[in-house]
Amino acid sequence: MIRNTNFDAPAEQINRWRTLALGIGGILSIVILIVALLFPEQREQALRSWLLGFIFWGGIGIGGLGVLILQYLTGGAWGIVIRRVAEAASRTLPIIFVLFLPVMFGITYIYEWTHLPNDPIVQLKQPYLSVQWWIIRAVLYFILWGVMAYLLNRWSAAQDQTNDADTALKLTNDASKFSGPTMVFYVLVVSFAAIDWVMTLDPHWYSTIWGLLFAAGWALSFFCFAVAILAALSDKAPMNRILGSRHFHDIGKLMLALVMVWAYFNFSQFLIIWSGNLPEETKWYLTRWEGTWKVIGILLIFFHFAFPFLVLLNRDLKRKAKWLAIMAIFILVLRLVDMYYLIGPSPRIGMNGQEVDFINSFSWMDIVAPFAVGGIWLWWFFGELLKRPLVPINDPYLEGAIEHGKGH
Amino acid sequence: MTFRIRKRRRIFVELICSQSRSSAVGTKGNSPVSNRLPAGAVDCEAKNMKENIYGLLAEFDTPTEMVEAANKIREAGYKKTDAFSPFPLHEIDEALGIKRSILPFLVLAGGVIGLLTGLGLTYFVHVYDYPIIVGGRPFFSLPSFIPPSFELTILFAAFTAVFGMILLNGLPQPYHPVFNVPRFALATREKFFLLIERRDEKFDYEETKSFMQSLNPQEVFDVEE
Repeated sequence: MIRNTNFDAPAEQINRWRTLALGIGGILSIVILIVALLFPEQREQALRSWLLGFIFWGGIGIGGLGVLILQYLTGGAWGIVIRRVAEAASRTLPIIFVLFLPVMFGITYIYEWTHLPNDPIVQLKQPYLSVQWWIIRAVLYFILWGVMAYLLNRWSAAQDQTNDADTALKLTNDASKFSGPTMVFYVLVVSFAAIDWVMTLDPHWYSTIWGLLFAAGWALSFFCFAVAILAALSDKAPMNRILGSRHFHDIGKLMLALVMVWAYFNFSQFLIIWSGNLPEETKWYLTRWEGTWKVIGILLIFFHFAFPFLVLLNRDLKRKAKWLAIMAIFILVLRLVDMYYLIGPSPRIGMNGQEVDFINSFSWMDIVAPFAVGGIWLWWFFGELLKRPLVPINDPYLEGAIEHGKGH
Repeated sequence: MTFRIRKRRRIFVELICSQSRSSAVGTKGNSPVSNRLPAGAVDCEAKNMKENIYGLLAEFDTPTEMVEAANKIREAGYKKTDAFSPFPLHEIDEALGIKRSILPFLVLAGGVIGLLTGLGLTYFVHVYDYPIIVGGRPFFSLPSFIPPSFELTILFAAFTAVFGMILLNGLPQPYHPVFNVPRFALATREKFFLLIERRDEKFDYEETKSFMQSLNPQEVFDVEE
């Protein structure tokens, strides 16, 4: 009987990863901290690099919350096997908030609009774009995400404890009912957060599809991350009894869909700005149409869209956990490049709107900071992953989901 | 061509057997799916049957039995086989050694052709046939050509998928000999059937029939052409 089987995470393995992650993350974070404190002229760069790491890794955690809501909404075997990974990612919200603190306290070092009181466009945006109100909003986002994550995790924990099949079914149904309207709020909060944290780096520019770009992009990040985690666990107990090639096939299809959605949203944004041809809108793309920025942009078209798209069309690749995981990590790296493409070229404080080329703006900290943030985030994530069995043991659909994985 | 020849032969068989068949059905009751209609209910001479049958059909009660039997059929070396079930059975593909469809590659080709058609059409219209300056942009403006090219990619790929599926399934097919077995109608409800066609190289009426009997079916039917 499935209830009597042990589905706990392989503690020894995960603890080893955990120590490694904390070691790397801790040391590199201290390096960044020292640079930021001791060299005031490097402080802006250190915080911008930290923001890059935060948007990337925080996006995986927040994307995990979105996928958790999504899988309750749609049902399906992929949702059951991915649920505990998504729950663990959603429970990283406290550490995401801690990782957000440098951005919050360093707001005047990162965002140009905090220094433009006489700029007519920034003046018009003043009611929305003030430091206090920006911080209040950020805290509000974390509270709203926190409520979503807390309730879904509490019901899921209660389901693990119960022995009663009716209660277990009721808890799954409650979570599903909660997830419908919550999805709307989740995407709205992600939109506002993406606009506040990334789009305002360029205070004159705006894009109305920006929020969706992040809702889809963060979900893609999480799916890729989850595939890597599941593939690493798939040949060890207990996941070797649960995961089948069909689970990876299903998640691979979702990865393919989101790769296409990412390209679709990006192209929609580009096409509208290109057609309109208005100076205040095209400036954002013109900056990224110079020198190395242009190379990165073209790189993204080919390796964030065309290559993964063609490779993920292949059915056999999606069914092999290890191959899909390699593809997932490849996309994750490109996700980071994509975030760098959004954050890197944006105007810097004291440059008076002058454009910054790649050579002068790229810093070693842009590589170190993502590792620093990632190490700390992963350390917390693995700790959360250890706390519960790797599958929702009392979910009424669990046995069906395991059977599904063995099919064709 | 083969279709026409086969059809003509069927008409010939019907002419020969029509007398005896109508009497046989009449005596067994009027329902086309009378509950236990024995094999060879269509009462034709045995010799005739051997020459004019399409294949042999075995009936099974459960999918497991059918898949086991299908494995044995494949191991025995039969190639021209088929299975009929009220619901999809993925195991049967492997059991009968059915190869994967080439449809995905056709769809990919359809999509690529659609993409090239879209790009070609917009290029032809805007650069060659009727060049107009729109918004001060060059005649060849790729961003604005992408949406129609994308739409044509989807359209061609979708049409290839639908019509390719229909054609690869051999549809439309107004006549198939297995329906000559009255109990075959149960394949849409609760019974599972395996077919070995006569055009299989290994097919030998007596031998194949006794082989199929050895698979523990409920019954083995001769399928008239």
